[in-house]
Amino acid sequence: MNFAFSDDQQLLRNAARAFLDERCTSAVVRALWDDPRGESDALWKEMARLGWLGLALPESAGGSGLGMVETAILLEEMGRAACPGPYLPTVLAGHALARAGSAAQKARWLPAIATGDARASVAFLDADLDWRPEAAQTRAEPAAGGFALTGVKRFVSWGHVADLLLIPARGPDGLGLFAVEPACAAGLSVAPAPAMDLGTRWATLRLDGVPVAADALVGAPGQAGPLLEDLLRRGAVGAAAEMLGAARRCLDMSVGYVKVREQFGQPIGSFQAIRHRCAEMLMEVENAHAATYYAAWALDAGAEDAAVAASVAKAYVGDAARKVCGAAIQVHGGIGFTWEYDLQLYFKRAKALEATYGDGDYHRELIVRHVAP
Amino acid sequence: MDLHPTPEDRAFRLETRRWLEASVPRGELKTPGERRAWHQQLYDAGYIGMGWPREYGGRAASPMRQAIVSDELARINAPPSMNQLGISIVGPTIIVHGTEAQKRRYLKKILTAEELWCQLYSEPNAGSDLASLRTRAEDRGDHFGVNGQKIWTSGGVNADWGLLLARTDAAAPKHKGISCFLLSMRQPGVEVRPLRQLTGSAHFAEVFMTDARAEKADQIGRLGQGWEIAQTTLSYERGGNSLARVTRYAAAFGQLVRAARELRRDGRPLLDDPRVRARIGGIYADLEVQRYAALRVLSALEKGESPGPASSITKLSYSEFEKRYQELALEILGPWGQLTDGLPHDFLEIDTSSGEPGSWAHAFLWSRAGTIYAGSSEIQKNVIADRVLGLPREPRADRSTPSPRSP
Repeated sequence: MNFAFSDDQQLLRNAARAFLDERCTSAVVRALWDDPRGESDALWKEMARLGWLGLALPESAGGSGLGMVETAILLEEMGRAACPGPYLPTVLAGHALARAGSAAQKARWLPAIATGDARASVAFLDADLDWRPEAAQTRAEPAAGGFALTGVKRFVSWGHVADLLLIPARGPDGLGLFAVEPACAAGLSVAPAPAMDLGTRWATLRLDGVPVAADALVGAPGQAGPLLEDLLRRGAVGAAAEMLGAARRCLDMSVGYVKVREQFGQPIGSFQAIRHRCAEMLMEVENAHAATYYAAWALDAGAEDAAVAASVAKAYVGDAARKVCGAAIQVHGGIGFTWEYDLQLYFKRAKALEATYGDGDYHRELIVRHVAP
Repeated sequence: MDLHPTPEDRAFRLETRRWLEASVPRGELKTPGERRAWHQQLYDAGYIGMGWPREYGGRAASPMRQAIVSDELARINAPPSMNQLGISIVGPTIIVHGTEAQKRRYLKKILTAEELWCQLYSEPNAGSDLASLRTRAEDRGDHFGVNGQKIWTSGGVNADWGLLLARTDAAAPKHKGISCFLLSMRQPGVEVRPLRQLTGSAHFAEVFMTDARAEKADQIGRLGQGWEIAQTTLSYERGGNSLARVTRYAAAFGQLVRAARELRRDGRPLLDDPRVRARIGGIYADLEVQRYAALRVLSALEKGESPGPASSITKLSYSEFEKRYQELALEILGPWGQLTDGLPHDFLEIDTSSGEPGSWAHAFLWSRAGTIYAGSSEIQKNVIADRVLGLPREPRADRSTPSPRSP
């Protein structure tokens, strides 16, 4: 039994830290706030070159065949840098195709994802915020040569830059997952939904009879439920990793600050009110680390409790990151509340992630269904 | 990263489970004789003092093997072994700091529970600020004469021996004037009075020492080294056993869910109430995180890393969790949770983590102790702030002042 990272995993983290420290500084993140796309193509291409985009894709598709633990390591580092971009949604869409896609879908998309030529996302949610896959209300009606999709999808992560959208819709056979190319989808409109974290971009998709071919279906007809549950679990663990990174950054900044900020003639870090708060922050961060990587490992290992562990990670780390990032602003005082100070980057990123891939209540309910059926 | 147990550890767990299923006594052990027989059985099977070196009667077992045995004992809800303080704290202290003669004299009888031990540390005015202790030990030529009072002495009533911290140099700075001794509890100068806790039982004692005799041969380490020795001891106390603790929480969780099916609100089982479901899901997440964290600590121990001050994070986390857990349990169980006897089977607590089976009420009350003993939560946060985060020390008046005078 070994809870520590392997040498390769540690190297991956070190390389990611070094790369993001240099290429994704807070100045870079802030500059992208004003960009309509909100992400940097140059950064994306470099991530591809570093092998990040194909990290968890099969080697046959130009990937490295690694797993959720390695993905979580990268996402933790991206959270630490508040790095904007469609990394997590692209990873999820890639996983969906690798797991359930047809040979043609795999050939069309997976190598393009690995090389950074394609971005992708999954449209989990309708306006009513019901995270259960079976709650999808978008309809897939039989039409000439395939289906016509009609409905509204909300809060689609980075939907406005996606070259491929995976859209759950209810058809005659039940719930299906459809691969849609926005570039050639008549009747699809993609509109930004501006949110308080300017490094998180959500899109609203309006589908008005969008025609899709029969071979756009990912997996068997009516069988999308289990696939979407798997994607949500991976999204939950990925989001947990990113929140963990944001929380650890907030803790590090707080510890650095309270050592040098003086009031009443001494560093505020010598006051018990501050010291105890920082100790609590560390406890939350260490627990969040254990929760995130246990779940990531459980998914990779196909462990019996993988589904519960993913929900535990999302529910626990969401709460922990909210507490830690909030406490960071509190110990910083006024400076922590300013636009110029970087705490807001991590505070807002954690908040955005807390509400996505199933919020805490959704995952707590899933836990109860597993442990008290 | 690989959290699968090794095939050897898996086999060891199965072997332990089989042994326990065949050997564990049915029902509560009522007499000291029965408890001693069970302890002897565990000892003969090699499950006592497993982490001790072989030369002193242990098995030099890995932290994982030790955790597996504690975990299996918890899983089957086995009666506790005896002399746990002696085996987990006093023995290791003697092994690290004791002389060869002390090791030969004491260690075997600690393992076999022929001699029961307690820890004579806290005093009425030296709790969190343990280094301000006033019990003094005076050199009287052939022995030390000990005078003072100890309190919160777990197992003090039955103990034959105590691991004592006492002041030997009143002029030295307070942390430097303390020495460590092995003190016989069976002598006229030692009076033990049971101290009843708010649980109703008397697990603790007050110990009064009036010209009690500590032999020169029973001094541990150098004069003035007592504080340093106590620090190693306290970190043993904050460290291990977390996995077994989580197993007990998990067993109790099953009972809580059973109760939530039986109890009703608005004509439906409580378990169908969304408010209750959200809180049960939340506490289960919290419980699982304690388990993952325990595995992480265990993995570090397996690699020979000492958790050191990081063990304060574990202790803070589980003890605070345990209070939240018991509070939720009593909210769900309502007045049933407060009964001390006559509970329907489904509502019975399995283990109280105090080592005694009992009611939810007892477990609830016990959960208040965890954030106080072995360094309160506030002390753990100080340790984390000082030694993990490296924050500037609090301004304190006592760092270089001479020790307090005995009354």
